[in-house]
Amino acid sequence: MNQERSKRSQENQGEPKKGNLYLLTGLIIGLLLGLVISWVIAPVKFSDTSPSSLRADFKNEFRSQIASAYHATNNLARAKARLSLLGDPDPIEALTIQAQQLLSSGDPTGAAYLLAYFADALKKNTISTSETNALTEIPTNTLTKEVFLLTPTLSSTQPVVSLFTPTLRPTSSPTPTQAATYILKSNQIICNSASESQLLMVEVYNSRGQPISGAEIIISWSNGEEHFFTGLQPEIGIGYADYLMTPDIVYSVRLASGGVLVSNLSSPHCSIDSGKINWGGIKLNFQQP
Amino acid sequence: MNRWLKFFLVIILGIILGLIYGWVMSPLQYRDTTPITLRYDYKTDFVLMVAEDFSTSQNADKAGRQLALLGSDPPADIVTQSLAHAAQMGYSSADMLLIQNMALVLQTWRPSAGGSIP
Repeated sequence: MNQERSKRSQENQGEPKKGNLYLLTGLIIGLLLGLVISWVIAPVKFSDTSPSSLRADFKNEFRSQIASAYHATNNLARAKARLSLLGDPDPIEALTIQAQQLLSSGDPTGAAYLLAYFADALKKNTISTSETNALTEIPTNTLTKEVFLLTPTLSSTQPVVSLFTPTLRPTSSPTPTQAATYILKSNQIICNSASESQLLMVEVYNSRGQPISGAEIIISWSNGEEHFFTGLQPEIGIGYADYLMTPDIVYSVRLASGGVLVSNLSSPHCSIDSGKINWGGIKLNFQQP
Repeated sequence: MNRWLKFFLVIILGIILGLIYGWVMSPLQYRDTTPITLRYDYKTDFVLMVAEDFSTSQNADKAGRQLALLGSDPPADIVTQSLAHAAQMGYSSADMLLIQNMALVLQTWRPSAGGSIP
């Protein structure tokens, strides 16, 4: 017996001790292979991104395009909604810096003028809201001074006086524009209910037609923006939300989670009784396709 | 169990964990993307912006260059796709008309010609 035991212990001493270290080694090798595959060989390919994730030079292109479209349409609410998609901390500053950079590089495409025009329209609206509730003209000498500060070389190539003729387009018909995960199913003007006067009523439904509670809605106008949510008035409906519009202000509405941008919304004039305007409401119905 | 078999099993386990980490927990950074990766609604709105600009400039070359940001497909195809999306998403008839007008011009436009071909 003793001889056998000593024989075994001799054998054990001769062999290296077999632990579980090989398992750890295998795990590390596997992890490394997995990371190489997921980061190098087959990285995640992104699709369905938003403009805020664009590379800086593409954001510049996007900004230029917004400015060009604004120059063509003078629809400031729509242009502002588009600009907000880029997520710039200070959109006016971003436009100004881009315009200055273009000017310093010779501005071969003439985009600096459009960017400056758009930036100035945004500035002008910010200034004018503190003075009046409508878009009013600012004295030409003030504007000229701003432009020279913004783009010192602009005066040599562009007629400064022609830069500033922004006007809001007074249209009463709501026009859906941009878009995404929600579509606009209906857009009604309500004139037969005094309780719904000046109300912008929004109803949000999923693809099965069920109302969605807690949907965030963004309403913006030329100089401001507010957010409100469905479901706060369950007695009307859990997918329902409303907002009291100020007459003669033009609003744009979209859902925060994406979807069609409905612009040019304002309280409709339903009738006039002895000189007093009876304002109507608007009911928007959004649904996931 | 055979040691080699265990060894390969933990390698496979490690690969799975690595893939989960690399694809799900910490994928490559979601930034510095290109317009090609934009969601279709943003692309459609971009096309509308180009169409709005085109409505006043009538410059097909410029519109073609701007639309090239959205991919290597012919600009007319990009606009046609966007038109379908715009209809699906409930764009106003005025906006649809702007896109349609641009699509008509771009269907006959050739970049080498430097403008629209009648």
